[in-house]
Amino acid sequence: MTRTPVTHDQVRKLSRSLPSFPSLLKEILATLDDPDANFNVLTRTIARDPLISARVLWVANTAAVRGRREAEVTDIATATSLAGMTRVRHIALISSLSTFAGGIRHKLPTAFWPHSVSVGVCCEEMVQHVDVPVTAASALVAGLLHDIGQLWLSHFNATQLAACWQDAQQRHIPIESAEIEFFGVNHATIGAWMAELWALPADIVAAIAGHHQPLEGPTFATSPATHHLVDLIHVGEVLSNALDLGGRSRNRVNNLSGAACKRLGLVWDENAHLLFGRVEARSRHANTIFALPQR
Amino acid sequence: MRTRHQFIPIEDARVGMVLGVAANAIEKGLLSLTLPAGHTLTEDSLGQLVAHHAEFIQIEYPDTRTDETVAEEVAVAARRVMDIFEDADLSDPTLATLFDQVLAYRSE
Repeated sequence: MTRTPVTHDQVRKLSRSLPSFPSLLKEILATLDDPDANFNVLTRTIARDPLISARVLWVANTAAVRGRREAEVTDIATATSLAGMTRVRHIALISSLSTFAGGIRHKLPTAFWPHSVSVGVCCEEMVQHVDVPVTAASALVAGLLHDIGQLWLSHFNATQLAACWQDAQQRHIPIESAEIEFFGVNHATIGAWMAELWALPADIVAAIAGHHQPLEGPTFATSPATHHLVDLIHVGEVLSNALDLGGRSRNRVNNLSGAACKRLGLVWDENAHLLFGRVEARSRHANTIFALPQR
Repeated sequence: MRTRHQFIPIEDARVGMVLGVAANAIEKGLLSLTLPAGHTLTEDSLGQLVAHHAEFIQIEYPDTRTDETVAEEVAVAARRVMDIFEDADLSDPTLATLFDQVLAYRSE
């Protein structure tokens, strides 16, 4: 039933015609373990980007008003100190990927980006609730990029992708299974090939590859530490769908890996309601701030 | 009086709002500030939360809905949860517990 097999080579070649992947993102990920370097990279890069600068200054000035600081904050270093490194990093990462996704989207449902943002903040929030060695920034980036393969398919195979989604809906099968029938591979594998091409960290590549099947993905060699990020993105997307985030009418939960939940130490009892509430609020807030412009 | 809880970003917090759960600000892995559940926000405490980089708080407010409205809203939310889990195998214990908790959360 495969219509047009998509190959690794084809993904690599065609991906070169897409806009450049944001260098800011790789710089931030490379300096996560060095707070001083991270501060310098953040402030220097933010200062070059008017959109990110405006968002950071807005957050800082809101904080300044609440902290009853009288003078308006106009420089990025002060703004970063006021708003906090974690928050400014969050703004910079989502803003840069939002600009990137906005540049290559093509005939995608309008909920693609809100869903990505929801999964990103869901994974970022879950890092606070599980005891595994994953940074919030890696979780955010992997969550934001988990469906990047769908963006590639929509850009280069829009008509077939629409038919594939319709087929999945009619037959009540997971989209990733229908994609294998249509394209020979699913969006998770395509996304991982793209992430490899962009030289993203191996754990993020593996997380994109394995987000629907966290125990699989043998093409992408994983260490035990890498497995935690794969598990986190898998559970993060399921949770985002379960809570109906991202404004998608087609939010569905098909499967959830019990092994992934166990490795993360996640137990679904009434204590999870606090996590649900935080994830919902953060998703709604992030999607208000980081919405793509209307086309 | 029946009350409801809601998480809100710190930008939306106002003086006079009541915390539904303790607000904890954590910086560099350490607890830097905590305000107890039931605390009514003042200019000072709001300023402290901002200074300690708190991002979200959970507030408690009176639930003025009638019983009938509550029942209707819960029924609509439950139907949506059923739709979302329509293709899930609920004999799987992990999926079943997630389903139960999302349903319970939507019924609050």
